[in-house]
This record gives sequence, structure tokens and C-alpha cells, in this order.
Amino acid sequence: MTPGSTPAACAALLRRDLTLAWRRRGDIAMPVLYAVIVTTLFPFAIGPEPALLARIAGGVVFVIVLLAILLSLDHLFRGDIEDGSMELLMLAPQPLALLVAMKILAHWITSSLPLIVVAPVLASMLKLPPEAMPVLVIALLLSTPLLCLLGAVLVALTAGSRRSGMLLALMLLPLCVPVVIFAAGALAAAQEGLPWVAPIAWLGAGLAMALVLAPLACAAALRIAMDT
Amino acid sequence: MANWVPLWLHRLGSPPVFYRFAGAVRPWAFGLALLLGAVALYGGLVVAPADYQQGDAYRIIFIHVPSAWMSLFIYGVMAVAAFIGLVWRIKIAEVVAMESAPVGAAFTLITLVTGSLWGKPMWGTWWTWDARLTSELVLLFIYLGIVGLYHSFEDRRQGARAAAFLVLVGAVNVPIVHFSVNWWNTLHQGSTIRLLGPSHIEASMLWPLLTMMLATKCYYIASLFARVRADLIASEGGKAWVRDIALGQPGNDPA
Amino acid sequence: MSQFLAMGGYGSYVWTSFAAFFIVLLIDTLAPLARRRRNLRELRARLARQENRRRPGTPPSNESNA
Repeated sequence: MTPGSTPAACAALLRRDLTLAWRRRGDIAMPVLYAVIVTTLFPFAIGPEPALLARIAGGVVFVIVLLAILLSLDHLFRGDIEDGSMELLMLAPQPLALLVAMKILAHWITSSLPLIVVAPVLASMLKLPPEAMPVLVIALLLSTPLLCLLGAVLVALTAGSRRSGMLLALMLLPLCVPVVIFAAGALAAAQEGLPWVAPIAWLGAGLAMALVLAPLACAAALRIAMDT
Repeated sequence: MANWVPLWLHRLGSPPVFYRFAGAVRPWAFGLALLLGAVALYGGLVVAPADYQQGDAYRIIFIHVPSAWMSLFIYGVMAVAAFIGLVWRIKIAEVVAMESAPVGAAFTLITLVTGSLWGKPMWGTWWTWDARLTSELVLLFIYLGIVGLYHSFEDRRQGARAAAFLVLVGAVNVPIVHFSVNWWNTLHQGSTIRLLGPSHIEASMLWPLLTMMLATKCYYIASLFARVRADLIASEGGKAWVRDIALGQPGNDPA
Repeated sequence: MSQFLAMGGYGSYVWTSFAAFFIVLLIDTLAPLARRRRNLRELRARLARQENRRRPGTPPSNESNA
């Protein structure tokens, strides 16, 4: 039996992951629900003053999206490791890094895209000025895949361990500091009417680098953690 | 000609040889650390004059700066050992990397605490989001993440290799964090505070500082070797040489 | 002496930071020594149990102080 071509395998894996996610639609809604709940808590905690809310809106939305992604990252590889299909992927003739990249892409589509869709709604709940809205969406479009890629490497490292919840947060925090700084920095600059292209460009550069390096690192980490 | 150096290093890669070597070196390194530390403290606290700007508060420098230096130095040693361990799968290198992390975390914690205690009288605040402080805090989180990841695995060897990978990821990350926080501060027009008051340091202040740096280096060697010995006892528990140590007279073996 | 302890008014900061330095390093020194002793004791207990299983009848002398 000859192995299928690499693009065909990637497409098949992407289709499989998206189908699996679609069968469990409730799980896709969970991060969004979490983000909405946390956002509604903020005005209660600090007061409904529009000026104050507008000042912190950008940063709050980014941190909430980051936490929602962190929550969903935990089961990025878990199902595949439990039912043994991760071993099959690792034994497949196609490069593991590409297959892992497909899994991360599927995860981004199912977990982060819904968050990006609701993010403007959340931001307007916090009175973010409408002119900053496009910058918010652009920054999220660049920073969420970056976070998913970085997080996937760490999830892969914890794949063979017993507990991972808090540990994952502890390990992701140092990695996501620059992402949060640049993403929220772009938004703050846009709100103050300053040029916001530079931080967005830095985010893009980081994403380009992570797109190349993170799948390779993730594959290496999976091989270490699964001990093959 | 100098063939014995690689040969000796090769022999040192064997756990029983390293265990004995570490046991022999540890008391000397610890004694030297105590001696140098005492000399440096005497020089720093008694001999060195008070700073004309900061008064006596600057004396925190004699533990703050050596600790800050060690927090980065230990990360460097750990990264090299982790790389060697991952590439050549040398067990001792993995153990050295993993047992360096708690010592590095200890020095990072000291740096943060003493820096905060120095900052309060000098800048009037316990904490400022300066690039150096933030990087040091992130470094502490990375150290804790490495220790946590190592201990979250059932299999020590597997945990060591996963955590060694995290060490290398962190090595890439720390400069990026430092750069981005720098950028962030200039955007936010952060308070421009120079971390060190005296711009050029006098000789009577310099020699205790350098002695203390040597003392912390010796301390690191002593602490690392004690940790490696404890780790080897646990991970090599089934081997004959550990059994001999366990069943031999425990009094003969200095703890 | 009291002048030395006062550190020109900054005594509390200076001595607290030196205390932090020594306390953290003391814990860092003692922890591995205690861990090594504990590991050795556990290993001895395990070896004694194995010995006991192979030759039943010998009293588990090492296990009692483990």
C-alpha cells in the first residue's frame, strides 16, 4: 500500500479534526461563553463609568481572549493521545510537523475564530471607541494564531505528564508577555490616535517566525513527551 | 597530546564517577563559598565607604548584583547542559540541567526581593515595570515552569527531556521579553530610572562585589553537586553502585 | 555598633535583604542534603523488603527505622 501524498494527508486530517469539532458543537461555544461572562464581570467590579471602561477595554479584551485560549488549549492533543491516534500520526510517513500544523490550524478555527467574532461585541460592551475596532480585529487575527502555536508547543511538552492545567498557565505566561504587549500596544496607540502599524508589524513578524518554527518544535516536543 | 581531557570528561559522564567526584568537590566549594562570602561581606559592610548619593542603602548591591548575575549565569549553564542532554542523551547533563533550575530560581527570587527592598528607599516604590525587573520576574516564572514540568512526569528521564526542551524555548524567549518590555516602556513614557546609582564604581566598593560574585559561583557548584547526588540516588536506585552506597556504612559517606 | 546596625537610617532595608539572601540560600543548601538522606533511607527500606521476600524469616530490621 502506498502512502497518500502529503497535501492529501493534511487535508484529510484537517477535515477529520473539523468534523470531530462539529460533532461536539457545545465545546466550541464554551470559550465564547467564558469570555462573555468574564467581560460582564468587569463593569460590576470596577464601576460602569464609560471613560474608565474605554481606557481599559483593549487590554481587558486581550487578556480575556488569552485566558479563553488557554482554557481550550488543554485538550488540543488530549483526545488523540487517549484514543491512540497520536501514535498513528507519529508513525505516518508524512512529516509530523506538517500534520501537527494542521491540527493547530483546526484548533485555531474552532477555538479562536469564534472569539474573534465576538471580540468586537465584547469591546463595545466595554465602550471601546468604534474607530479602534478594526485595529482590535487585526491584532486579534495576528495574535491568536501566535498564541495557539506557542501554546501547542507547551501542550505537547505536557502530553505525557499527569497534571497540566496550572502548569500550562505557568509555562505560557512568559511566552505570551510579548504578544500581549504588542497587541494591546497597537490598540492603545490606535485609541490615542497614534500610528499603530509598528506593533502590528512586530506581531506579523512573530507570527511568520512561529508559523515556521512552532510546528517543528511542537513535533519534537511530542516525540520527547510521548517517548518514541 | 592532551588526550586525557576528553577521556576524563567522558568518564565523568558516568553516574557513579560523577557521584564520587561531586562528593569530593562539594565540601571544598562550599567552604570556599563561605570564606569568600565572609570576606566580601566584611569588605562590603565595614570597609567600603557609604555612597555619596545613596548613603548606606547601596550596600544591598553586594548581594543584589551577584544574585542577578547568577540568575542569568545559571540559566546559561542550564541551557548548555540541556542542549547537550537533548542532543547526545547524556544522563548527567540532563540531571545537571534539571538540578540547576531550583538554584537559579533561588537566586532570581533573591534578586527580586533585594531589588524591591533597594527600590523602596531609592525610588520610593517597591516595584516598577522596568524592563530589567519585568524580565527578571519572567525568568522566575520560567524557572518555576521548568521545575514544575520536570516533576509532573512519572518517568524522571522523560520529565528531564521535556523540561530540557522548555529550557531551550525559554532561552529564546527571555531576550524577546526584554526587548518587548523596553519597547512597551518607551511607548508608555515609563519612568526613566537608572537601576544603579553610582555610575563609576570605586575600587573599595568593587573588590567586595567581585569577591561576592566568586562566592556565589562556588556556592552554586556546591549546591548543584549536592542536588545532583540526591537526584542520582533516586534515579539510579536499582543500580548496584547505589545499592552499595545505601548498604555500606552511611556514617562513612559525608552527607 | 548601633551606628553600624542603623546603616544611616536604611538599616531595616539593608538587613532585611541580607536576611532574605541568607534564608533563601540556607533552605537551598539544606533541602538537597535532606532529600539525599531520605532517598537513601527509602532505598534501604526497599532493599530490606526485597531481601525479606527472598528469604522469609529474617526480621525486617531496616524497615522499622524508615
